Amino acid sequence: MNRGIEKDDPVEGALNRVQLNPSCSRRQFLKVSGVAVMGLTAFGALVNGAGGSTPLIIMDQAEGLVIGDPTKCVGCRRCELACTEFNDGKAWPELSRIKVTRNLAYGPKGNVLGQRGQGNFGQGLIVQDLCKQCPHPVPCADACPNDAIILDPKTKARVVDTEKCIGCMMCQRACPWEMMSFDPEAKKATKCFLCGGKPKCVEACPAGAIRYVDWRDLTRKIPPRVAPAVHASPAKAATCNDCHKK
Amino acid sequence: MATFGGWAGKVLRVDLSTGRISTEDTLEKYKDVLGGTGLGYKVLWDEVKPGTKPYDSENKLIFGVGPLAGTGAPSNGRTAITTIYPTCWPKPLVATGHFGGDFACQLKYAGYDGIIIEGKADRPVWLSITDGKVEIKDARHLWGQGIRRTNLDIVQELGPTACVAAIGIAGENLVPMSTIINNVSHSAGGVGSVMGAKNLKAIAVRGSGYVRIAGDKAEWEKVIKHHLALLGSNNQHVVPNSPQPWAEFSHPGVRWVASKGRAWGAAQPPIDSGTCDPHDLNRIAYRTNNAAFYLGNIAWQYTVRGNGCTSCPIRCHTLLRVPYLPEKYGNGITENIQSTCVRLLFGRFFYKSFTDGFLGRTAFDACMVGVYLIDDLGIWDNYGQIQRDFIKIYHEGTIKDKIGEAEFKSYSWDKYAKSDPSFLFDLIPRIARKEGELATVLGKGTGALFGQWGLPEEEWKKDEGLGYWKMGHPQHHSSLEAYQLGAIINTQYNRDVQCHTHQNFLRNGLPIKEQKRLAKDLWGSEDAVDDIGMYTPMNLNKAKMTRWTLLRKELHDSLSLCNWMAPVVASPLKERGYSGDDTLESLLYSIATGEKMTREELDEVGERIFGLHRALTIRDMGTKEMRKEHDTFPDWVFKDRQGRAPFTPGTTHMEKNDLNLGMDMFYNLLGWDKATGSPTEETYKKLKLGYVAEEFEKKGLLP
Repeated sequence: MNRGIEKDDPVEGALNRVQLNPSCSRRQFLKVSGVAVMGLTAFGALVNGAGGSTPLIIMDQAEGLVIGDPTKCVGCRRCELACTEFNDGKAWPELSRIKVTRNLAYGPKGNVLGQRGQGNFGQGLIVQDLCKQCPHPVPCADACPNDAIILDPKTKARVVDTEKCIGCMMCQRACPWEMMSFDPEAKKATKCFLCGGKPKCVEACPAGAIRYVDWRDLTRKIPPRVAPAVHASPAKAATCNDCHKK
Repeated sequence: MATFGGWAGKVLRVDLSTGRISTEDTLEKYKDVLGGTGLGYKVLWDEVKPGTKPYDSENKLIFGVGPLAGTGAPSNGRTAITTIYPTCWPKPLVATGHFGGDFACQLKYAGYDGIIIEGKADRPVWLSITDGKVEIKDARHLWGQGIRRTNLDIVQELGPTACVAAIGIAGENLVPMSTIINNVSHSAGGVGSVMGAKNLKAIAVRGSGYVRIAGDKAEWEKVIKHHLALLGSNNQHVVPNSPQPWAEFSHPGVRWVASKGRAWGAAQPPIDSGTCDPHDLNRIAYRTNNAAFYLGNIAWQYTVRGNGCTSCPIRCHTLLRVPYLPEKYGNGITENIQSTCVRLLFGRFFYKSFTDGFLGRTAFDACMVGVYLIDDLGIWDNYGQIQRDFIKIYHEGTIKDKIGEAEFKSYSWDKYAKSDPSFLFDLIPRIARKEGELATVLGKGTGALFGQWGLPEEEWKKDEGLGYWKMGHPQHHSSLEAYQLGAIINTQYNRDVQCHTHQNFLRNGLPIKEQKRLAKDLWGSEDAVDDIGMYTPMNLNKAKMTRWTLLRKELHDSLSLCNWMAPVVASPLKERGYSGDDTLESLLYSIATGEKMTREELDEVGERIFGLHRALTIRDMGTKEMRKEHDTFPDWVFKDRQGRAPFTPGTTHMEKNDLNLGMDMFYNLLGWDKATGSPTEETYKKLKLGYVAEEFEKKGLLP
């Protein structure tokens, strides 16, 4: 798999696109990896070092993401139904990659505030929980022991490769926004894959409360729902040194 | 089960007397009646003996949903609750209450197509259903609590995604005019006290499973989008109620109220409802605002948004925020109030007039106070009958005559005389508590005015303004709106008919010329429908439409499609000549379940379910003489308050011979005997109700 760096310069390209920490230069990057790069912008979410060394954990930014406007959400759940029926042939809100049901009655904080909270039985606001298509470092992908969270070739959405996924649910524990879903029958994780750039949920919303827009970083804007219980393995984390260590 | 999509596959049976919990196979036992009301009727037929009283432990309470519940088929959020009705007078008979909300889908996701509640618990309990785990739990801490408190208490235990269907203290106290309410504001009327009699405070459901679409998912997506494209606003009104740039027609009487300048004023920041071009499927939710439709323009400024049932893009259940309510009215009233249709009007209906009019502030406040109270106490209004009765007996001095002086003086009549909404805090909780003679009688329903107070039913039957039809219940979209069709369908049930099949077409706002063109395709002739205010003599096509109206009602109630939105036989689309699609139900059914059925085949299932309802009524009345003893019209149907003759402009005055001809035609189309109004043996057999024919043969109940 010796291809890439001389001609297409994908590493440089990727670094530019990802706009990584400016302290990380191509030269440093190459010095430490010093090897071929595999499928960086296509299926290869991860940069494999030759000879089976620990992969580098860089992902291209996604092209777009789905954003929600809670002040418009009418709580019908047609987004969750479209997500699962049109993609999976099952009406299955629990599996949906957009998550509204859990906030429907009392809001993201649950029922602790009663009528003073959000949601239908509180003050009325319904928050749609959506995948942020996180920039590097991507918590779900980094937590996966099998590198099963990869890039969709078209939208660069972070998607689950069901061939590689072993159903360990580490990704579920890693997402601060609880956006991973799990199919208990297939024993596979699933997550928002942006439907090839035409998200079903967006099409389905009768109130125009969700939109597909150019990707931007929302990870620092939207408060996490939980403190992640799982992080990248030490071996993976060690590859941070490859790029970031002076 | 594996071969069918749509259904969850199991019906849950809970015996509260023994604590036994079991399941049975839906498809084995109930597939030929689909679910919903069909399931309810079948269980009553098989298991509840004639003569069973509503509060007997032998009475059963059946929560039924159908194969479309929980899917993405638009408007599938309704659950049918069937039982022997405590408000049916003088003899309790089968009827069904319905609620929307999230209960139907949660039940499916938990793995059930229905719940059969039987027996009676020896102490207050609630039923907890989380997927396969079903438990009867102690509810002593919930007994006596309002519906909102009950909801919160239970979700603290099961988590916020659980859907709680609960009774208020009205149901606990065996007030017949009571509701079961899920999601705090979605109510089913007339059934609350049956749950109370079983000592069952609430049923909470949390499901994590799915409904499988058996057919091709791309085909399903296509049909769903087709269905959505044909939708109008609430009640399938397909033209806007004010002129819009895209619209050829408009009609002030319809519920498509969106327009530039009309905004959800309490959204933060406000959202203009806009012109809502029907081709923009991402604006469907803005078309309807039932608070503004019913309460007037005053409601716009308090509208947070539309709310409603799972899967429904229409959002008829308006959520309002009215910040001054707590300070102005106290008594725990909240800023946020949500409801729809006549339930929104509950409070206002108690008053004869308001100094600032029916669309003014006082009337609006009365509506807010009303919704707040009845949704927490769990009271039913019998489609406005309780209020019409109250106004009559108050203004005629009957209340003063019938209750003791001390009780009479205990009411704040001065407030009532001033149309002060706070009078409702005086009256309504007493109904829920059965406190005193007046409140007790009101809570029993109109039948108690006749039975307990000895007022003559004939008087009610004479007065169009009272809206009373028969058996303790009022008219519902009757001859007053749909002439012969309306009159005929109002004879068929044991409570108000709750049918909107016809209404969704006849009042959709299209000019009569367009309606007639569509009617020709649907029912064989333009003459099937009349212009509003100019009705014509009975004809066979009207009878065909009447039959279709009732079969589809039962079909919708059994499939779980909202009969307040379906059928969709007209659309807002000019390029389609405003046609809808009369095959939508069968399309959805075929793909969801994987069993291909034509419109005609599925209509026959609707006819079977309707036939089973008829059979239950005949069996429990113990007579085949339905035409004479059941299918009756109140006298006011054959009158005009202004003395206009039948078939003259503006009148709803029905002509007796003409309506009798209509009944003949209707019975005939259904294969029912004209003389008795009872289905014949052949008809039962044709509908695969041979077991009914067999039993009726023995009992002499066949015509």
